[in-house]
Amino acid sequence: MISNFITMNGYGVYIWLSFSVVFISCAVVYFKTKKTLIKYEQEFLAELQKLTLEEKNKALENSKVAQQILATSCETN
Amino acid sequence: MFKYFSSSNIYLLIQKLIKLINSIFFLILVIGLTFALILSPPDYLQGDAVRIMYVHVPAAWIGLACFSVITLLSVLNFVFKVKNFYFINKSIAPIGLLFTCLAIITGSLWGQPTWGTWWAWDARLTSMVVLMFFYIFYILTFKLLKKEELIIKVSSIIAVVGSINLPIIKYSVEWWATLHQPASIKIIGSSSIHPEMLLPLMVMLLVFLLYAALIFLMKYKTEIIRIKKKNIKRN
Repeated sequence: MISNFITMNGYGVYIWLSFSVVFISCAVVYFKTKKTLIKYEQEFLAELQKLTLEEKNKALENSKVAQQILATSCETN
Repeated sequence: MFKYFSSSNIYLLIQKLIKLINSIFFLILVIGLTFALILSPPDYLQGDAVRIMYVHVPAAWIGLACFSVITLLSVLNFVFKVKNFYFINKSIAPIGLLFTCLAIITGSLWGQPTWGTWWAWDARLTSMVVLMFFYIFYILTFKLLKKEELIIKVSSIIAVVGSINLPIIKYSVEWWATLHQPASIKIIGSSSIHPEMLLPLMVMLLVFLLYAALIFLMKYKTEIIRIKKKNIKRN
């Protein structure tokens, strides 16, 4: 039964290759996108750290995005 | 109303949606793969090779859908100057390119056992390759051009010209004699696909749509952070 599942009645090579190409490509794109997102989040935080306390508080007060990125980074740390 | 669509509120919504998709994605993927590779019956003519359909067809549909959305938003952006559409298009284009390439590759892998050839320059296959090139040109405008106004103009022209290819892809199997089979699934009228094959196809389509949505949200979130970073520098 397992052998039948793997060979797929002679079409196994084509079927497994198709599914593999799809899932490997999708996984590569997913991890690359995630890596870029994390890189930008860290760069944003680095910019935020460069500000003076007053400027930082003002930026956090005005931007929900800044608050969220800071909160997410605290969660992950 | 417009305040609700501010980048801050959109950012919060994106966070929630990413979490939601992450929590359900693997369950639906396992269900889809179980149906596609085990439970669905082999075709009476093509045998088990028909299982390639469960990745090929959703990939092709999403490739086409992404370009349709890009065209629509490009026109709307050109007319109403909504900057968000520009960022949405920039985030969608790589997803469309990925799925178009996957449709071409899996189509080739399906063609060998069913047609006896990896490739034929027939209307459907060629028009899909043309779509792939339009995606490449579209993405290149964001990479090569610097001025945002110029990017919007050039990318909108590419999207509008490329959209002429969309009905050609759809109706190529009816207009010309092609190796590719005509559509089995119709929105209007009765489909010729068996329900036992339609169900796995729809589940796999859902899997691909969730994946596409996840990548889109991550890319769009990156764009929002990039803008906010610029604003911090300015202040």
